[in-house]
Amino acid sequence: MSEHIIVGMSGGVDSAVSALLLKEQGFDVECIFMKNWEEDSDYCTSEQDYKDALLVCDELGLPLKTVNFCNEYKERVFDYFLKEYAAGRTPNPDTLCNKEIKFKSFLNYALKLGANRIATGHYARLDQHNGTVLLHKGNDENKDQSYFLFMLNQYQLEKTIFPIGEMTKKDVRTLAKEKGLPNHDRKDSTGVCFIGERDFTEFLHQYFKPDPGEMITVDGKSVGRHDGLMFYTLGQRQGLGIGGGHGEKEAPWFVADKNLKDNILIVAQGHDHPDLFHSQLSVENVHWISDKSPSLKKLNAKIRYRQKDQSCSINISNDALIVVFKKPQFAVTPGQAVVFYDGDICLGGGTIENRN
Amino acid sequence: MYYFDHSATTPLHPNVKELMDEVGEHHFGNPSSVHVSGQKAKTFIESARRQMAKAIGCSSNEIIFTGGGTEANNLVLWNLIHQKKKHVITSVIEHPAVLNVLDNLEEFGVTYTAVRVDKTGMVNPDDVQNAITEKTSLMSVMLANNEMGTLQPIAEIAAIANKYKIIMHTDAVQTLGKIPVNSKELGVDCMSFSAHKFYGPKGVGALFIKKDLKLKPLIIGGNQERRMRAGTENTSGIAGLGLAAELATNNLHKTQSHLISLTHAFKAQITHICPEVIFNGHPEKQLPGLINVSFPGFRNDLLMIHLDRQGVAVSSGSACSSGDIKPSQILSSMGITDDINNSTLRISFGIDNSLQDMEYLIKCFKSTFERIRSAA
Repeated sequence: MSEHIIVGMSGGVDSAVSALLLKEQGFDVECIFMKNWEEDSDYCTSEQDYKDALLVCDELGLPLKTVNFCNEYKERVFDYFLKEYAAGRTPNPDTLCNKEIKFKSFLNYALKLGANRIATGHYARLDQHNGTVLLHKGNDENKDQSYFLFMLNQYQLEKTIFPIGEMTKKDVRTLAKEKGLPNHDRKDSTGVCFIGERDFTEFLHQYFKPDPGEMITVDGKSVGRHDGLMFYTLGQRQGLGIGGGHGEKEAPWFVADKNLKDNILIVAQGHDHPDLFHSQLSVENVHWISDKSPSLKKLNAKIRYRQKDQSCSINISNDALIVVFKKPQFAVTPGQAVVFYDGDICLGGGTIENRN
Repeated sequence: MYYFDHSATTPLHPNVKELMDEVGEHHFGNPSSVHVSGQKAKTFIESARRQMAKAIGCSSNEIIFTGGGTEANNLVLWNLIHQKKKHVITSVIEHPAVLNVLDNLEEFGVTYTAVRVDKTGMVNPDDVQNAITEKTSLMSVMLANNEMGTLQPIAEIAAIANKYKIIMHTDAVQTLGKIPVNSKELGVDCMSFSAHKFYGPKGVGALFIKKDLKLKPLIIGGNQERRMRAGTENTSGIAGLGLAAELATNNLHKTQSHLISLTHAFKAQITHICPEVIFNGHPEKQLPGLINVSFPGFRNDLLMIHLDRQGVAVSSGSACSSGDIKPSQILSSMGITDDINNSTLRISFGIDNSLQDMEYLIKCFKSTFERIRSAA
């Protein structure tokens, strides 16, 4: 009997082509639509996503089922997300969703249904080297999603296939069109899964009351008010409501720092302002995909999704991990993930704790 | 496919399909037209009206055809906006086609009291009586619940409504062809039906409106359905509904005994292979053929997938638009814990199920339990 694979179907073209490829390779393929977020308002993308998934599976002749992980998502991802925002940080719920939901709850559920492995439409590649599973970047440099997968462990990766990791997005779409998949031209999804295309600040306003405070420049000059520190992200340009006119130049303003103790937002003018850059950061919740910390001291890192690799050195002592970048980095943001690479191998990473 | 989800919908009766094909192919004239083709089409509609009226013991001018059970409920409930008194008494176990409508009517000044049910899923008429206020103008309580199958004491509730001159509506979509449904014996003022629940087509329903009750239409336009439901009639659908209603009531006793024997046999055999099962609902006052059963320790979505793989269709909780399963609100309202709620399935037999089908279902349950236990 052929290997039984359960594909996580999102309704998008990437998971659709993943299922298609596995079917063509002769696997025994079943699809599951994961619902991780209950809609509490009129805003609903999951229903449309499900309908798209249904049409794809019908075209491919594959069975589709839905599983609801809303409780798990809320407890293990969303509560953390809110806690981080309340603490003035900017969390990355997608990395946690992969670790806790897609590659834990969903994986276990699929195994219970008799699957040998699961598959998802991530742009990343896997291979074995001396008994260790290595996570490689996807071949499409522009779409590589290894950044979001750095929290996975050996067990999770052993049970996973990324069928489109070798392909470019363009090839994925071309193949989908060629094979008549009804979602071949569906728009790429952007943003955090549960927020979708909604306005992010508006979404946060559902959970946080405004907590206005003073806004000052890095030189200590008062330039206005802010609505609440959680509504601002370091490096953010829009939404300051002060235009460019307060400085000598007409350059835009950026969020440079948050003073949580006194509820003050600190801004700097001009994208190149030195206060927006840091060369060093400390990391918490460090995770290495191979279970072992790397022997390399010089490697590359990304501090945000789709950032170009940045040369850095790492220093590990007593559980603390310090990263020193060759070049200063714009908007190093506590709460976001820093992910390490050796060439195209994703080694692991952690949460940015602080910068200096 | 082995289909055990007749409370969700039923297959078309072959005689109904034959009639609908004939009407659709040969009698396409507009029933409002005066030429022969239109006249013939109208004949089908009027004979369907007689069939439906006979099925529930009313006169044919008390039947309005609608676009389904949901529309029939909406027609009754939206009349509240014309009433001076705008309070409604309903129950917590009503279908969304009642409860969601009432929620939407709140902005038009309508308020409602949803009475609770006991452990067997039954409304207590005393609770209904106690909920009456001087503003109450309508009661809407279903005749049988779609998830639990519990039959509600509608005649008693209607007697209370009559005493206080309150309009009594019942959503009876689950019942025709499974229990006797007589408008006079129930004493209700209006009653909703849906053809696809009794081996008729989807998208057609009927509303009984007692002669002396004056309601305003929901859909306004031409003069069809005595101006109570405008729009060119769905001739073949209505003809199908009429015949389905006639067949359902003519064969009632045969169907009942068939469904009851399937139910008894299933309950005995499933208890044998899974002694910890819990049967929910009322021990006697229950829709024949509907079994709401919990399998403690088994997630119902897993059970469903395993059964589905074997070609077996059953139901669970309230299906959602993304195909997932939510814990049943109705079971929760009866005080059933989330764990038991999430291990509950609804099996609803129909006239097309044989004893062999039921035995196949048992066999599938057996292999499903074994597979889930071995994977754990």
